[in-house]
Order: sequence, then C-alpha cells, then structure tokens
Amino acid sequence: MTARRDLLRLALGGGAALFAGCSPQHAEKRTDRIRLWVAPNDAEEGFWKLAVARWNASGMGLPVHFTTIPTAGSSEDTVLSALVAGTEPDLSTNIFSGFAVQLAALSQVEDLAAMPGYAELIAKRHMQAITAGWTQDGKVCALPIYSSPTLLWWRADLLEAHGLGAPPRTYDEVYRFCQSYARSRSRYGMQVVAGRSWADRWFDFISFYYAASGGRPYLEGARALYDNQPGLEAATFMDAMFRRGWTALDFDAEEPLVSGLAAGAVRGPWDVERFAKLYPQTLSRIEVGPMVARAASGGPGSTFSDSKGVVIFKTSLVAREAFAFLAWVLGEEDLNLLWLRRTGLSPARGDLLDNPRFADYYRTSPIARAYAEHVASARPPALSEHTIDIQKIMTAKLVEPLMTGQQRPAAALAQAVAQTNKMLAVRM
Amino acid sequence: MSGRPRFRREAAVGLALAGVYLLFAAIFWAYPFFWLAKLSVTQWRFFDEPVFTGAHNLVTSVQDPQFLQALWNVLRFLAMYVPIALGGALLVAFGLQHVGRGRAFIALCFLLSNVSSGVALSLVFTKIFSSTGPLNSLIFDGTGIRIPWTNHPTLAMLAIALVVAWKFVGYYGLILYSGLLAVPKEIYDAARLDHASPLTRLVRITLPMINPQLMMVLVFAILVSFGLFTEPFLITGGGPGDSTVTPQMMIYETAFRRLQPSHAAMMSILVSLISYLLVVLARRLFERKVVLA
Repeated sequence: MTARRDLLRLALGGGAALFAGCSPQHAEKRTDRIRLWVAPNDAEEGFWKLAVARWNASGMGLPVHFTTIPTAGSSEDTVLSALVAGTEPDLSTNIFSGFAVQLAALSQVEDLAAMPGYAELIAKRHMQAITAGWTQDGKVCALPIYSSPTLLWWRADLLEAHGLGAPPRTYDEVYRFCQSYARSRSRYGMQVVAGRSWADRWFDFISFYYAASGGRPYLEGARALYDNQPGLEAATFMDAMFRRGWTALDFDAEEPLVSGLAAGAVRGPWDVERFAKLYPQTLSRIEVGPMVARAASGGPGSTFSDSKGVVIFKTSLVAREAFAFLAWVLGEEDLNLLWLRRTGLSPARGDLLDNPRFADYYRTSPIARAYAEHVASARPPALSEHTIDIQKIMTAKLVEPLMTGQQRPAAALAQAVAQTNKMLAVRM
Repeated sequence: MSGRPRFRREAAVGLALAGVYLLFAAIFWAYPFFWLAKLSVTQWRFFDEPVFTGAHNLVTSVQDPQFLQALWNVLRFLAMYVPIALGGALLVAFGLQHVGRGRAFIALCFLLSNVSSGVALSLVFTKIFSSTGPLNSLIFDGTGIRIPWTNHPTLAMLAIALVVAWKFVGYYGLILYSGLLAVPKEIYDAARLDHASPLTRLVRITLPMINPQLMMVLVFAILVSFGLFTEPFLITGGGPGDSTVTPQMMIYETAFRRLQPSHAAMMSILVSLISYLLVVLARRLFERKVVLA
C-alpha cells in the first residue's frame, strides 16, 4: 500500500517538476550582477574572460557573469528562444544589425543612444561615421563592437606569374588576369559567388555594389535602391565572369586559394586565423586587395562590413549598470588592443591607423592593416528586419539568373528590385 | 462484497500508471496541439498577446507563391525519390536473400547510413556534388563537361533525392526483406512448374505478396518528403530559384527568422493535412489485401 502511494507521489511529483521546468524563468532576473552572453568561439571567449576578470577586480560597478551563447543552431534562434522563455541575459554580443532591428521592432532591446555616457563613448572611439549605419530614427538598438570589411584575397605568386605586381583594383584588371590565368572549366580567375545562403549575398553582390557605389545604401525604408548604375556595373561584372567561364558555379569542394583552383576570393579577417591554422603556406602567399569596381578609388574603397554588435535587453533590471560596463570595455584602448590581438577582428573605431596604441600591431600584420584601412569606409547591411527575405530575393532573382546565364544583368536587377519592393510593401 | 475494494485498488494502480502517460501526453502533445490550433487563427509575435484574426493566416498561406512552390517541390521530390528509393530497397532486399554468411552484419551496415547525421551527410554530399567536386572532375576528365548538380532546378532536386535515398534505402530494404521472407517457397515452386519466367514471378507473385511492406515503404517515403529539411537546407539552401525549398524550411524560416509563428502554425497544419490526404490517396490506389488461400 505504501509502495503504491509512493508511486502516485512520484508520478505527481514528476509532473509538477515538468511543469516547473516549463515555466518562464523571470524570477532569475537579478540586480546583484550583470549577465552577459558572448559569441561562442574561443578567441572571443578568451578576450571576455580577461576583460570581465579585470572589471570584477576593479570594483567599478556590478560584477559581471558571462557565458558563451548556448547555441545549438544560430545565435539568433538561441536569443529568441531565451527571450520567449525569459532566460535572456542583460547583455548579448554577436548581434548583427538586421537582427537588432528585429529585436527593436519587438520592443525587446534598449535604445543605447539614450544611455548616459553614450555620446562620450562614441567620441572616445571615434565611431561617428561607423554608428551612422547602425542608427535608425535617432535610435541605436545595437552598438557595433567590431567591423570586418570584406576584401579580396589574391595569391600573390599566381598574380606575379601572370604579369601582375599588385592585386587588381578594377574589373578590367580582373578580366585581363583571368584571360591569362583561367583554363576552360578547370581553373578560374576568382571566386565570384560566395554560396547559397541568404547571408552569402553580403560577400558577393552587396560587397561589389558598395564598392561600385562608394558605399551608397541598397535599401531605404521600404524601397530597394540597387537597380541603378552601380548595381548594373556590379551585376555586369558578375555576369561577365560567369559567361566567360572565369568563375565556377560554386567552390564547395575545396578551398580554391589553396589549390589555385581560383586565384582570388572575397574573404573576411576571420579567415586569417583559419588559414594560419590550416593553410599557413598559402597565407604567406596571400596579398589583400580592395573590392574591385569599374574604376579604382583614390583612397580605401568602399565595401561591406560584417559587423557584430551588442544589445541590452529591455527586461534587464540593471540596464544602466550594464551600459557602464560596456562603455568601459569598449572605451579602454588597452582592451581594444587585447581584442585585436586575441581575435584579429578590427574594433569598430575610426582611429585604428592613427592611434599610436595600435601602431605596433599593424606594423607586424599587413593583412590586418589592410582590413583596418577599410573599417571607416566599410558599410553594414541595410537596417531592416526583412534582411533575410530581401537577400533571398536577391539570390533567386539576381544572383542565380546571372550564374546560370538565364537573364541579362539589367533584367535580373529590375526583377529583383521589383520583387523586393513588392514584398516590402506587403510586410511594412 | 470482496470484489469492490479490490476493484478500487486496481483502478487506483491503473490510474497512477496511466496517469504518468496522460500527464506526459497532456504536456507534450495536447498542450502544443491546442496552442498550435490557437496560433493558427491568431496573430502573435512571440512577446505580445495573440490577437484573433480568423482565416487570415489561411488566406495568406494559400496565396503565398513560395509556399505553393514548396508544396509543388515536395511532389517533384516524390516523383524522383520514390522510384529511386523503392528500386534501391528492392535491390537491397533481393541482394540480402542471396547472402550466405554474415547476413545480419550486412543488414546492420545498411542501417548505418540511416542512423548517420543528416548534417554530416549533407556536408559530404555538398562536396561530392560541387561543380568543382570529385564527381564532376571525374565526369569532366571523361567527357569534357561539368554537370551543375546543385545549380540546375531539376538536377538539384535529383541530387537531394539521391542523398535522401542513400540514407533510407537500406532501412526500406530491410522492411522489404522481411516481406520476402514471409512469401511461401511453394508458390515459387508451383510457378516454376508452370514455366513462369523470372519477370512473371516478380510481377505476379513477389510484388503482390509484399504489397503490405511496399505500402509501408511508400507511406514512409511520403512522410519523409513532407518532413524534408536538413538536406535541402544545407545542400542547396532552397535554390536555385526556390526550386528545392520545402514546406519545413518555409515553416522554420517563417517562425524563427521572419518571426511570424502564427503564419508558420497555419502552414504546418496545412502540410499535415496534405500529407495525410496523400497517404490516404496512396493507400486507396495501391494497397491490396494479401490473402494466402
């Protein structure tokens, strides 16, 4: 009889525990510490470990407790799940601008521009030009931590063997090199299309468009803008590369720069660490050039910036204290240098090459210097909560028709822009 | 007199044991089911209160060209997948019949592909099908052409069908093999005495006799088709031109990337209904009663 009663108790107890596990965790919100999520990679985790330890030892504010974003799929999915479950931290890094706008549209993040000390932080980091791309209606829902311009990596040995002493800067220079280097469907001048995912458009058409347009936006409100002269130039370049067989439909099978299957490819600064680990010999032969355009630009050319920022969630009970911590981390030049050394990603600040604190680092790392030169002229993605849909349309209506030669550049551009505008008109 | 207390005790034990399952079902089946039904007729963006919008999500879904394309893609996938998977499974089943020693080990090996990670498989096949990958290099060396496996609408779907078939063909083969074992040998002996050719024996005896297993495989294939996500998501990303987008990809992206869970809920209900109707239709068309007189 006792055993049966125990069994019943166990069943009810288990059920209660399950219910308790399903309930939101708002009770966890605390005011005695700041909870921070950081990007789940070793380099960034290593930086935050040191930065948080210094902050906690200094006693300048509430102690910070950090973990990496407990991600199984993407960081975005994890953050959303946490918000729904009420388990989000006070601060989270690794947020791209489009996702920050989505979170702002859902009223889930603080306006950082309204925080005390915001203007001082922006001035201290010389971020005025950079934050322009992160400001919407005067509000800043995410503050960029680093800026990763996209640039073209070229195999210097292959360029030299085919008569080029420096990386190509214009479409014509690329064409001339391809004429000499490419072999019918077995060796290609450069990789033009980055991949199939919506996010890959940042590393092909959007990068080429920014370079062609001097950083002009491709979207304004509910209107796509890239059916214009720079858009046509970028699309025509892609079209020419495919039609003449100077690039392949994809390079999924191998890293083309290593084997020389392609001599050039768009790469971000995060690839430096990857190549240093996996292909150190190839890295030593890499020379970084600007994103190509019809005409070479005088200074550092415009390109896309894959930037990630930090948000403070509306539910935080210690939002101001969290911003004070953030302002300290981002404002300290020592920590900016530590970030640079640990991650190789350029801090989002406009004085990287003028500031003597960073001079040593850039003297010894020419690739990092090339990226730093482009931080101020690199542009983030359009501030839109419909980023994914916009770039999926760009893929299906512009890039893929160009790849397969189904449409001419002007027609593909017009179709992609019309479809984007139609989608935005329905959604906004 | 003595039966009633005993009945109460048994009822209490039964209720306690069944209660665990009922509780489990209430939490993990009934609650999500009713929440899904509620979501499908409301508008909700994760953090606000759901607002009743009636048939709005239904109308939006049936008028959404990408959703209709995704449903059409399932039918295209089925048209390629079913013949490949059924043909492959029959080969596995017939092959197993002729294996002497180590049959259990070989059968187990066939299951390895089935338990392999879909993500890992997709990454491997992405490299294999790449326009500069080993398969294309081989074809190029022999013929001087490269096949755009993942960049042509029909070939991309065929590539996905081949990957999914590779994963499931061993599993389906074992199901069919179990059916073959149940066919009495005397029927074949009688057919041979009647000078029935191998093709006649296959078409008139074997296939009708394993109809229940074939139906089971067909139903599984339909369910796999409507649940397809990992392979197209990773291999083609839904392209080229949305030609390999599947309903599951749309539901995921609508719910978690476009942040429209209500719309996604309605799409998931529609997909469930359509897959159920297709299963019913397949059974009506192809299911036969197998009776040994």
